[in-house]
Amino acid sequence: MTTDTATSPGTRATDPGAEAPRHRSRVPRTYYLMLLPALALFTFFITLPALAGALFSLTNYVGFGDWEFVGINNYRVMFTDPKILSAYVFTIGFSVVTVIVVNVLAMLLALGLNAKIRLKTALRGVFFVPMVISGIVIAYVFNYLFSTSLPSIVQSLGVGGPLSQSILANEDLAWLSIVIVTAWQSIPMALIIYLAGLQAIPDEVYEAAALDGATPGKQFWAITLPLMAGYVVINTVLGVKNFLNAYDIIVGLTNGGPGTSTMSVAMSIFTGFNSGDYAYQMANAVIFFLVTVIVSVLQLLLIRRRGVQL
Amino acid sequence: MDHSVSSVTPGSGLSRRTLFKALGVGALGVGSGGLAGCSGGLGDDTLRFLMNKPEVVGYFGELITAYNEQSGRPPVFFDSTPTSISAQFVRGVPPDLACYNYQYEASTYVNRDVLTDLRDTAPAQQIAPHVQELVSQFADEEHRFHVLPYSTAAAGVIYNVALFEDNGVEVPTTWSEVIQACQTFQDAGVVPIYGTYQEGWTMAQGIFDYCVGGMIDVAGFYARLREVGDEFEAGADYSFSVVMADAVARMTELAEFDNEDAAARGYSDGNLAFGQGQAAMYLQGPWALGEIEKVDPDLQVATFPLPMTDDPEDTKCRVNLDLGMWIPAQTPHREAAMDLLTYLFQPDIINTYNAENLYYSPLEDAPAQPDERVAGLQEYVDSGRFYQGPSTFIPPTIPLANYLQELLITGDPQAFLRKLDEDWRRLALRSA
Repeated sequence: MTTDTATSPGTRATDPGAEAPRHRSRVPRTYYLMLLPALALFTFFITLPALAGALFSLTNYVGFGDWEFVGINNYRVMFTDPKILSAYVFTIGFSVVTVIVVNVLAMLLALGLNAKIRLKTALRGVFFVPMVISGIVIAYVFNYLFSTSLPSIVQSLGVGGPLSQSILANEDLAWLSIVIVTAWQSIPMALIIYLAGLQAIPDEVYEAAALDGATPGKQFWAITLPLMAGYVVINTVLGVKNFLNAYDIIVGLTNGGPGTSTMSVAMSIFTGFNSGDYAYQMANAVIFFLVTVIVSVLQLLLIRRRGVQL
Repeated sequence: MDHSVSSVTPGSGLSRRTLFKALGVGALGVGSGGLAGCSGGLGDDTLRFLMNKPEVVGYFGELITAYNEQSGRPPVFFDSTPTSISAQFVRGVPPDLACYNYQYEASTYVNRDVLTDLRDTAPAQQIAPHVQELVSQFADEEHRFHVLPYSTAAAGVIYNVALFEDNGVEVPTTWSEVIQACQTFQDAGVVPIYGTYQEGWTMAQGIFDYCVGGMIDVAGFYARLREVGDEFEAGADYSFSVVMADAVARMTELAEFDNEDAAARGYSDGNLAFGQGQAAMYLQGPWALGEIEKVDPDLQVATFPLPMTDDPEDTKCRVNLDLGMWIPAQTPHREAAMDLLTYLFQPDIINTYNAENLYYSPLEDAPAQPDERVAGLQEYVDSGRFYQGPSTFIPPTIPLANYLQELLITGDPQAFLRKLDEDWRRLALRSA
């Protein structure tokens, strides 16, 4: 999908060579005018504040009052700060795991909900419910389930092991709870996209495959998955971007604990506003921005390569 | 939530804005920072008074209404939005008068010189000097009068009087008696102390502050650290890992007596459990008493300061400036703000507020706190045998509460103190 839209304007521009000058003089002005409001808003409310923030990352500014330039001091200290480094490790690891979990489960659910089953519409409605509930609400409900309900169920079954205690209080397992809850909330969105993709595959393809004797499994690997590749890509890109910014669900579940084992980068940046650590966390935000950009660009490059092969 | 509605004072032409604000607060609960943007655009004459401590919003609403009726000035706008004050300073629209919890965050305004020096005002003369000194423990000496204490919260160990009597336990006056009392409860099958590790702040203000504050000279320790500045070295004789070593060891010893599921319990679980008589002691401040009362209005509770040594004379209680008043230097309404401040500092208003809300008035010659639930701390407050919680001196950029959670769940005091040292060193380098 992304590859289509990216390449089509280029090919069109090279085709009718004679008409090109006239087009260039007339059409673009309208396009520019249409873009202008959005561009102005984006510049004033996103780009300029971001540049100001990047500038302040070179100072000792606390958000108000006097400040002076301190060079790259904030960056230097940041790279030796184990709290921040571990936040990056946690956030990136969490994003990778969650993206895989969300996409696999959403794909399975989409296949199920796309089949000719009873109560299809009602079931679809049920599966979309998590999407309309606020993340912090979900997190508090699951907080109760993990710290009270789950341990008492496990205990009453007489099973020992780590699940008989709250996994939120377990430094090695707390991240799992965040993956579970984030996945629970994110699956509906991925599911919608997969359902749309599945409905776009014409039935004739499957009929032809069935006539050729392809089993359902073979049909999935040879037809569904390749035709869905664009949708997988969209879900992966959007997912990674969202999960890198994980915040509300973590606050509601563990608030970064136990210890700092589930502290995400976004949480770390946000502490800067309340703790007089504005400039330092701005430096963190700049680095985080670069990391996000690099991850996105890498993803797009991989996609483009795959997109050509398909 | 209904507090925010009751807090809206009848102002001039503010109805729509305040309605939105009330709706916003109702819909978003806490942290509706975006809404504070409205507050910048009040009329030119309107004084904005900020006080957003949720428990007493209704109380202050009535005070402001009474003030508006008799002041002969344009009505004061009472802002009780739960918002971040630093964001308002960033935007350049701080409140004209604030009555706000004084801790590290507030002290950054003091040190950055954005507040008015109030030393020559009448209220400043009435405040007991050892309470006023609490302000300068966080800040530079020259900024001592940039905040006027309005309310002091004194905190100690909240205990269940009936459980103490039933098990023949006296209020402990030494550290060994504390351990003995815990042992007695444990042997009798009573949870000695209710811990709520899921919410780290409960440990920071509770077990950590009580144990460390009871053993070291808190203000002196941090004054030394400020002096050392960016020369700070981990493991030096002034560092966390040396000065706090004994106190933290005793803290982990005490935590052994917490309920077994402490790691999975939070503040509201603790209030509920203690209110139901499930534990003998609870390391919380007076703010928890109202919550406990909701669970069981008849439960008899009282407070004692945690003794940390074997000399009863060493025992101190924890205090914090629950509310302090300040006037930003940039306010265009300084004179009106002074008038409201003077009004609120009248002895019968400030003393009544503190008596009724379980706090201690900062005024010299204030009457004794009548509520028996916190009366056990009176003599310590009167004689200045108190400390500000050591946790409140640590900037929030060092996640002390998270470290405590880790320490009390997995139990490595050395690693805990080393982390504090390392973080402090990095912070000192950065702020140099």
